[in-house]
Amino acid sequence: MTIELHNLTKKFGALIAVDAIDLDVSDGEVLCLLGPSGCGKTTTLRMVAGLEVPTGGDVFLGGKKVNALTARDRNVAMSFQFYALYPNLTVAENLAYPLYADRLGKAEIAARVAKITETLQLHAVLERTPDQLAEGEKQRVAVGRSIIRDPTCFLFDEPLSRLDVQLREEMRGEIKEVLQDLSRPTVIVTHDQLEALTMADRIAVMRDGRIEQVDTPHNVFQMPANLFVAGFIGTPQMNLLPAIFTGAEGEGKAGFDIEGGQTMVIQVDPRISEIEPGTRVTLGVRPRNLVMSQEEAEDSISTKIDLVEPMGAETLAHLSDGIHDLRVVTDWRVPITEGEVVHTRFPPGATHVFTADEQALRTT
Amino acid sequence: MSNAVSNRGGFGAWLLDPKRRGALLVTPALTILFFMNIFPLLWSFGLSFFNYRATSLKVPIFRGLSNYERVLTDERVWERFQTTAIIVSSSVVMQLIVGFLLALMFAKVFPMRRIVLMLVLTPMMLSFVSVGVFFKLFYEPTFGIVSYALNFVTPEPFVMLGSQQGAIAAIVIADAWMWSPFVMLLVLAGLVSVPKYLYEAAEIDRASAWRRFRTITFPYIKSLLLLAVLFRTIETFKLFDIVYIITEGGPGSSTETIAVYLYRTAFQFFKTSQSSALAYIVLFIVIVLTNLYLYSVNRRAEEVN
Amino acid sequence: MARRQREIGKAGWGYTLVTAVVGLIYFFPVLWIILTAFKTRTDALAVPPKLFFTPTFDNFVSVFYRASITTGTSQATDMALYFFNSIFIAGTSVIMAMIVGTLAAYAFSRYPLKGNDTYLFIILTTRMMPPIVVIIPIFLMFRLTGLAGSYWGIMLLYTAFNIPFSVWLVKSFFDELNPEIEDAARMDGANERRVFFGMCIPQILAGLAATFVFGMILTWNEFLFALLLTGVETRTVPVAMARTLGGEVGVDYGLLAAIVTLFLIPIFFVTFLLQSQLLRGVTFGTVKK
Repeated sequence: MTIELHNLTKKFGALIAVDAIDLDVSDGEVLCLLGPSGCGKTTTLRMVAGLEVPTGGDVFLGGKKVNALTARDRNVAMSFQFYALYPNLTVAENLAYPLYADRLGKAEIAARVAKITETLQLHAVLERTPDQLAEGEKQRVAVGRSIIRDPTCFLFDEPLSRLDVQLREEMRGEIKEVLQDLSRPTVIVTHDQLEALTMADRIAVMRDGRIEQVDTPHNVFQMPANLFVAGFIGTPQMNLLPAIFTGAEGEGKAGFDIEGGQTMVIQVDPRISEIEPGTRVTLGVRPRNLVMSQEEAEDSISTKIDLVEPMGAETLAHLSDGIHDLRVVTDWRVPITEGEVVHTRFPPGATHVFTADEQALRTT
Repeated sequence: MSNAVSNRGGFGAWLLDPKRRGALLVTPALTILFFMNIFPLLWSFGLSFFNYRATSLKVPIFRGLSNYERVLTDERVWERFQTTAIIVSSSVVMQLIVGFLLALMFAKVFPMRRIVLMLVLTPMMLSFVSVGVFFKLFYEPTFGIVSYALNFVTPEPFVMLGSQQGAIAAIVIADAWMWSPFVMLLVLAGLVSVPKYLYEAAEIDRASAWRRFRTITFPYIKSLLLLAVLFRTIETFKLFDIVYIITEGGPGSSTETIAVYLYRTAFQFFKTSQSSALAYIVLFIVIVLTNLYLYSVNRRAEEVN
Repeated sequence: MARRQREIGKAGWGYTLVTAVVGLIYFFPVLWIILTAFKTRTDALAVPPKLFFTPTFDNFVSVFYRASITTGTSQATDMALYFFNSIFIAGTSVIMAMIVGTLAAYAFSRYPLKGNDTYLFIILTTRMMPPIVVIIPIFLMFRLTGLAGSYWGIMLLYTAFNIPFSVWLVKSFFDELNPEIEDAARMDGANERRVFFGMCIPQILAGLAATFVFGMILTWNEFLFALLLTGVETRTVPVAMARTLGGEVGVDYGLLAAIVTLFLIPIFFVTFLLQSQLLRGVTFGTVKK
């Protein structure tokens, strides 16, 4: 059973919410639609579910075109952002609700409810109604109601967004475990990158109705395809430094001028040789990859430490060369003081180069 | 609530003092209500214990509870209560059914919904007298459209108002026609308040239409339905205008509702005290019903919050 | 069974057609009344009832100009006067009730007294109570004080009639206002009068308009008290209409239809504009969406 989206588009009047996207989710795979609010991820999910009618393009479930089918006939399972628990039914009745359509016997229904109760530890709240539940419990019931079935696919709309930070951590792990056992394609919509990075087999980063990149969490993090993905994934945010490429220096190194007169020679992707010297580019380096040093080097620039933020096991330092701001994260044991002048090094392999069209210069 | 007190001294300040402000603002309203409602009520209460007749000049004699006794043992009174009960229950049931169906129809969003809704809301805004006068015309055996329509089935002119059943039906139809839109409004308010995502979840869960209704929709409209039933029952119980105009309580006195009977007793037969006693019994029933109604209103308000 | 996918809760023109048919069927009696207003006397009482006829404006003209239309039981239609009476009496009463009622509603909302709920309950009960209960003493009262048949009498009564309704409705509007805005104004130095007239009233203006309209509709349709307490000069339209039913043949249905139709015009307006307030108005402010 697979999910395939071909050229899928959704317009609300003049607003294009989803712009001709192509996406495939294979059997048993967990795919996360990740992006800022308004990027079209929820609309896409709802089109897969059958709750929104596509303006253009097709949705295929298991190879069959399902555009014309209602949500009910698609036999999908969906967990809503607002849980959508039936207010007058108990938790047990809520869980059992979708099973009636399968015409199972009472014993079978009871057995399945018992199994889900076990999996999600819902023993204590089985007889309660939704208004008597805590957020975390509601969320588990919502998830439970989805996985109690045997549908064509699982869809989750912002499953953890309403939970506080601690609960989220707990639930992330739980859900990941649950998802491992499912053998159907699963699509999760979220705006929280940490969720996506931990739970997904692949992430589709979306912006303004389009997919910016689809890849494994590792690749999306280590090899962002463009400026948007680079800036969106990773906390603290990647440092983005405008620079001018001055020329290749051999051994895979390249020279860059930055505003304010400083220059550096750093090792970047070999494809740098494809662009002309004098071209404006953006250099991207993650805070944890920058190194602060007392000694100057060819791949460093001189910066002053403006602010030091202890974060427990790590320290976040805000540095500036007078024009550009950089963030560097180091181990908490490294001694640094505000006002200190250090040399910030761009070690080999740490820097991504983005050309003017915002695409990454990368050898695939 | 503000504590700003006027700096003028004396009576002005005493009057405008925040603690008294509330009382001051309420006084005119309560005064008028007192004189036009409460005072007559008390007077009426007093009258019911005497044997006063508005037309005679004799000094009224205190009769204690004998008026009440008379009224409660009078067979005619019980007949009227029965008639009223039949009319009220038939009309309210019809209003419930028609109002509910109409609400279902209007629960969706469709082009020109506002205009079509208006068509259905108009009957409610007409006066009882207008409705009475024209429905009487409709029911007319020779000139009325009801008879005309039925002539396709039966050859003779149909006399709606000739029998008790026909007359009661005539009243019930007119009343239900007028007020079903009211029930519709209430039920519609409930239907519209159901969050859309619950229906989406039910669609995903492949629930049948009946299950959807039973588990999601009905709980939301339960309290409003109760409100509608109570409200309409109270109002229909007091029904006077339509009955008076369409049937005048006839044929004979078979469609006399309590209200019409009271009117007759008080203003045609001038048995003032007796009618006061009966009026008080009716009032008592209405107060009980109103209490129920307000209790439902509060329950609903709590639900919503 | 696969069905055409459609957004939940929405429907198209096909549905509109069905609802329009149902709506028109329901509306049919009203339609008939409106049609009758344009019929001549013979057409109105035609056997069999006529759906198609040549229309005339005579009835509307008769409403406004003094015209003697002799019927079997000779009722000179002085509809212009009755029309005026209805509107004048209803209008004044409703306005007076709203003035008094709004003040009280403000108090109930902003300055809750100890017995608030009791007062409100009593006020609502006076509205719910069968008019029959009070009509006897009121009739006697009016007779004693000479108010029977005068404008002041019936207006005073109708004012009392409209107070509960105004209080409950306007209170519900006040309850919905944000008190923080008023507190901010007070801190800026506005005195109570300015807060009330400058801040609260403007915000609920639409609601007040709705209250006025609903009150008017309820009052000018009122029958029982008008029947007993208005005299020849102060008679209102509903009473006049009822009186014309005295004799069977010769009731001028065309004229009556014209009156109803005239009253319908503002009602159509109201229903259309105030659809959102309708629920509140019709349940006297006890139910809000």
